[in-house]
Amino acid sequence: MTTSLSDLQKKFQNRLLHGDDAVDPLLGNGGPFMKVYDHAYRARLIEVMSQDFEGLHTLLGDAQFADVVTAYVNAHPPRQRSIRWLGKDLAAWLAKTPAWAEQPMIADMAAFEWMLGLSFDAPDETPLQASAMAKVPPEAWPMLTFTFHPSLNTALLSHDVAPFQRAAVSEDEEPDSAPAPFAEPITWAAWRDPNTMIVTHRALDIDEAAMLHAAAKGETFDAMCEVVADLSDTDDAAVRAASILRAWLDCGWVVGLDGEGISW
Amino acid sequence: MRDLAGFGLGLRPQHFPSILGDDPDVCEGVDWFEIISENFIGVGGPLLRNMRAVAEKFPIVMHGVSMSIGSVDPLDTAYLAGLKALADVVQPKLISDHLCWTGAHGHNMHDLLPLPLTEATVDHVAGRVRHVQDYLGRQILLENTSTYVTFADDEMTEWAFLSEICQRADCGILLDVNNIFVSAFNHGFSASDYLAGLPVNRVQQIHLAGHEHNGDHIIDTHDQPVPLDVLALYEAALDHVGPVPTMIERDGNIPPFADLVAELKGVRAAAERALS
Repeated sequence: MTTSLSDLQKKFQNRLLHGDDAVDPLLGNGGPFMKVYDHAYRARLIEVMSQDFEGLHTLLGDAQFADVVTAYVNAHPPRQRSIRWLGKDLAAWLAKTPAWAEQPMIADMAAFEWMLGLSFDAPDETPLQASAMAKVPPEAWPMLTFTFHPSLNTALLSHDVAPFQRAAVSEDEEPDSAPAPFAEPITWAAWRDPNTMIVTHRALDIDEAAMLHAAAKGETFDAMCEVVADLSDTDDAAVRAASILRAWLDCGWVVGLDGEGISW
Repeated sequence: MRDLAGFGLGLRPQHFPSILGDDPDVCEGVDWFEIISENFIGVGGPLLRNMRAVAEKFPIVMHGVSMSIGSVDPLDTAYLAGLKALADVVQPKLISDHLCWTGAHGHNMHDLLPLPLTEATVDHVAGRVRHVQDYLGRQILLENTSTYVTFADDEMTEWAFLSEICQRADCGILLDVNNIFVSAFNHGFSASDYLAGLPVNRVQQIHLAGHEHNGDHIIDTHDQPVPLDVLALYEAALDHVGPVPTMIERDGNIPPFADLVAELKGVRAAAERALS
């Protein structure tokens, strides 16, 4: 009796995912080289994750990194069409999985590297020039909302993982010590320079991070000023918010704005 | 469709500085490039920019790894839309993917997995190929993969399976000569019989690559230079199919660009020997 293609694929796949041997009777001559598929499945996932998380691989070493990837893919069997997205949930999984959650620098490194990767190949869009803001009528400012470049991504980190990661991916440097903890978690932003296409990152001040969070949710410039007023020492939150916005424009973060009679 | 000719290389990010650099002779002997479709679907940034710069200078063919044409899951319409959008930009001479499945029942194993060689599978795959071709508005090519198992239900040879699907779906063949060599060794069939059984007019592109010999089986690694025995099989293939656009597909252990250009000259010489 022939096996349906659906049943065969389910059993073959369960062999790779769970080591289930139900596929064995379906193989010709007992499938002496089935081990090639067993090995290739794990090896490919580890290889791809190592490319996406080079700093994490260095931090953990080969054996522990392989353990992490194996446990992660067991918890999150791959469903994405493109292997590009395999590591999407790694940082969140590390942060909540007991063996790794006790060392938050591990999840921080994964979050940082995933952020850099997102920025690297995010879709292209044309940033607004800073000069465009001069054309916004004063009365339109309070209700302005902003759209950001797809390459702009953020991560809240409790460890200074950037120097370690830079050294890990460099051909000239070696990481010399584990990432140190920050006094308080800090929001980091990564983005791709629109001209050089180089991914850059920096830490955000508390008020800037909150303002960006509000803006990314679609809140108005007026609401963004209120956020800044709550968090900074400045006497004039609008001036401080405008200054932050100017920095965003200079970095190519803003690709659109909407307001009464304005849609750029 | 066959307005592609000559010899090409798989476009790899490590080689962008060489290809797009100031030396106009660096690509001498390279007539076209093949891109991995998935690397450029729905993304932007430097890789896309560089690929488009290469596409302005050279003909491009698109090669996919995740159509999963043999899966029992529905075709991924978002993926096909991305493929079509990329083709609109790149204007590729050919679009290909593998005769395999990569996952089913909602999962993706990210590997080129073997299909049972049955009439039912032929029906299933041919129907899906026709659907893809209707959607893309053009013919696609299916590539033979290296396999490491057969199935108890197999009803035909691999070449009969490939030929029947391509005839029924009216699609082309991307013939990977290394994969024939690997599967012939692993399963004990004759590579010559494989070549003799192909519908020669459907072979529109050829891949060459290297492998890893493990004594009782060969693994298709695509991370070594094309070995002499694969090159000899290539010459035998050309004897059957005539001049077909041919490329080196190097996926791992990527050497300097100049090394691949030099290796491609050897491929060209082999083709000239075979066709003389």
